[in-house]
Amino acid sequence: MSKGRNGSSRRNFLKNAGLVGAAAASAVTPPVAADAAPAGPLSKKALPPGPRQIAAETMAPANDPVNQTSSGGDFMVDVLKTLDIDYLTINCASSYRGLHEAVVNHGGNTKPEIITCVHEDIAVHMGQGYAKIEGKPLAMACHGVVGLQHATMAMYNAWCDRVPVLVFGGNIMEADKRAPGAEWLHAGVDIGQIVREFTKWDDQPASLQHFGESVVRAYKIACTPPMGPVFIALDGELQENPIANRKALRIPKFEPVIPPQGDAGALAEAAKLLVNAQNPVIICDRMARTPAGMGHLVALAEALQCAVIDNAGRMNFPSRHPLNQSFRRAIIGQADVILAIEMNDLWGALSHFHDRIVRTSGPATKPGAKIITLGVRDLYLKANYQDFGRWHDVDLDIAGDGEASLPALTEAVLKLTSSDRKSAFAERGRKLAAAHQAMVERSKVDATIGWDSSPITTARMCAEVYNQIKDEDWSLVGTAIRLSWMHRLWDFKKPYQWNGGSGGAGVGYNLPASIGAALANKKHGRFTVAFGGDGDFMFNPGALWTAAHHNIPILYIVHNNRAYHQEYMYLAAMAARHGRGVDKMDIGTTIKDPNIDYATVARGMGAHGEGPITDPKDLAPALTRAIAAVKAGGPAVVDVVTDPR
Amino acid sequence: MRILRVTAAAAWFAAATLGAVCSAAQAEDAAAGDAAHGKVVFLKEQCFTCHGRSGQGGAYNGPAPILAQTALPLEAFRAQVRNPVNDMPAYSDAVLSDKDIADIYAFVKSLPGSRSPKDIPILNN
Repeated sequence: MSKGRNGSSRRNFLKNAGLVGAAAASAVTPPVAADAAPAGPLSKKALPPGPRQIAAETMAPANDPVNQTSSGGDFMVDVLKTLDIDYLTINCASSYRGLHEAVVNHGGNTKPEIITCVHEDIAVHMGQGYAKIEGKPLAMACHGVVGLQHATMAMYNAWCDRVPVLVFGGNIMEADKRAPGAEWLHAGVDIGQIVREFTKWDDQPASLQHFGESVVRAYKIACTPPMGPVFIALDGELQENPIANRKALRIPKFEPVIPPQGDAGALAEAAKLLVNAQNPVIICDRMARTPAGMGHLVALAEALQCAVIDNAGRMNFPSRHPLNQSFRRAIIGQADVILAIEMNDLWGALSHFHDRIVRTSGPATKPGAKIITLGVRDLYLKANYQDFGRWHDVDLDIAGDGEASLPALTEAVLKLTSSDRKSAFAERGRKLAAAHQAMVERSKVDATIGWDSSPITTARMCAEVYNQIKDEDWSLVGTAIRLSWMHRLWDFKKPYQWNGGSGGAGVGYNLPASIGAALANKKHGRFTVAFGGDGDFMFNPGALWTAAHHNIPILYIVHNNRAYHQEYMYLAAMAARHGRGVDKMDIGTTIKDPNIDYATVARGMGAHGEGPITDPKDLAPALTRAIAAVKAGGPAVVDVVTDPR
Repeated sequence: MRILRVTAAAAWFAAATLGAVCSAAQAEDAAAGDAAHGKVVFLKEQCFTCHGRSGQGGAYNGPAPILAQTALPLEAFRAQVRNPVNDMPAYSDAVLSDKDIADIYAFVKSLPGSRSPKDIPILNN
């Protein structure tokens, strides 16, 4: 894309304020050329230029200033500073050059500090991972047309994941101000249109006051549950032109919305159902949105001594809590009351689905089971993309933020719990604890199968990593498709030890989002670790350069099965339906011949690289070396050649 | 992202449990197959892509069961291959002969399977 820009056609706009230099001298009579060439033999054919001609070619025209003392970009930075935005992830682009310069010089490159990215998809995904650890959005800037088109996949992931990211896209609204060429290719009437179906709100401010109000509004909307990305178009003229009267501009006050709590009567009804149930089950997905969320859920579960199934959209529930039954999903079929909190796909979680020639589905719940939902997800939906999932009948549907509503629900449960029920709860809790412990022991036994095999089993890969980071203040911020050994084997108990997945299942999330999360963890001194598939890695390997450039420490484990393995299995299923054999399923699904050397790729980006590790005995020493590199302040990649799943 | 997906895996796991009582018959079943050839077929026909090269299990749309030291009798094993429950692809006799299945069965029965995690200190963190 072009980064060049010709601004000469726009300068006649500059006639109001803050202009110094050549414009001030425009009334001066152009000097007469003292050394005008004398007439010579060729003078009859081509006379030398006269004083007026020379002046016209060498002097700046009237009203064409070359300096200014203020700009809209400076005001924009002032607005961003009031929102306490720590970082601006960017891929540099001329359509927001005014803001870029203002961030660097007027803003001192702090709050926000620029994080240089080599692709817009990386820049937004970093924001997604960052927000889920830090609890607030960062800002991202890109070309409003070509850059925003690159950014769309990441914005869709953030939308599906209900994560706030503040996205800016440069544009030149006025046609007569655009330079020939790229500025026309990079301009649009309504550039936000392309992302409107998967953003919460967007605007294209036409004045600086409008900008201030829209950015504060956008930030507020993005951070209000259900959260999501927002988009603001940045007019080039607005960024670059001087400000006529800075004092006349007001930066609006930001005050966050208090997330809505569920109706008290409805929560009391839910408490009654839960207390009277024989086998209540809590299932949750994107419930915990602050460090307090996990504690609130633990309090409710312990008050009821009931099973909790954590769909792991966030760090909702400790992995080794005795009531955690996430790997005993058959328990859903025994539940008489199910409380579903901030679920992304309620139907999928409570149904059996069969991906066969004739696709069928049916309830996983027992007949008559009462289903209570609590959440805000359905308060903001759009029509085109079907991320809202299939309809599911419920018995009590409470509109309220899950985390904000849990303390009141727990209090109502405690009030309704008689001594008889308390005894029954305790007995139930003992059984669940025993089942949980059996599940943990079963996981350990299962993990031993193929322990010394090559390619390395995913269980051993995860166990080896945990063995070396367990005493760190660790934060796991990424995993590969269907890689769940960490949640089976590791002791998750702190709010930042997990931050969920991509949201939209758009490949390319894992590496940049993990680095974004690592950026957030850095100032807290946490040790960031992530796993990711080899397929995902290759979408955005340039994210590693950003991590190296900005000294973002992260241990990144490539779960390298040399394939887009889920698709590999799907293709085998298609072939099996036809009885055609499955020996050609590597066509179009594998990443080999040649094998990619991810450690070398990492080193090329300035990161530490280990691997490819094929012998399990080599894994521990490689991890030790990589962890030392992370502790030295940079990214490290360990390429582990694994069995597929 | 959902870690696991609810499936009708219960039938498969139940069959595996019931099969444990038929150990004598299983020994005969396993002896009937060629484990070395079974390994070749297991890899060629992509069984490992869901169940792992060591028969450690894995995941497709839902959990793919552990096959190492399977407790299923050969007949139930063959039935699952021919007309599987859940989302496992069906393998017709045009792709896998009964002998191939018997050989695969012998192979997965020959796999060492699990051992005590107490022997592996890092699994006890």
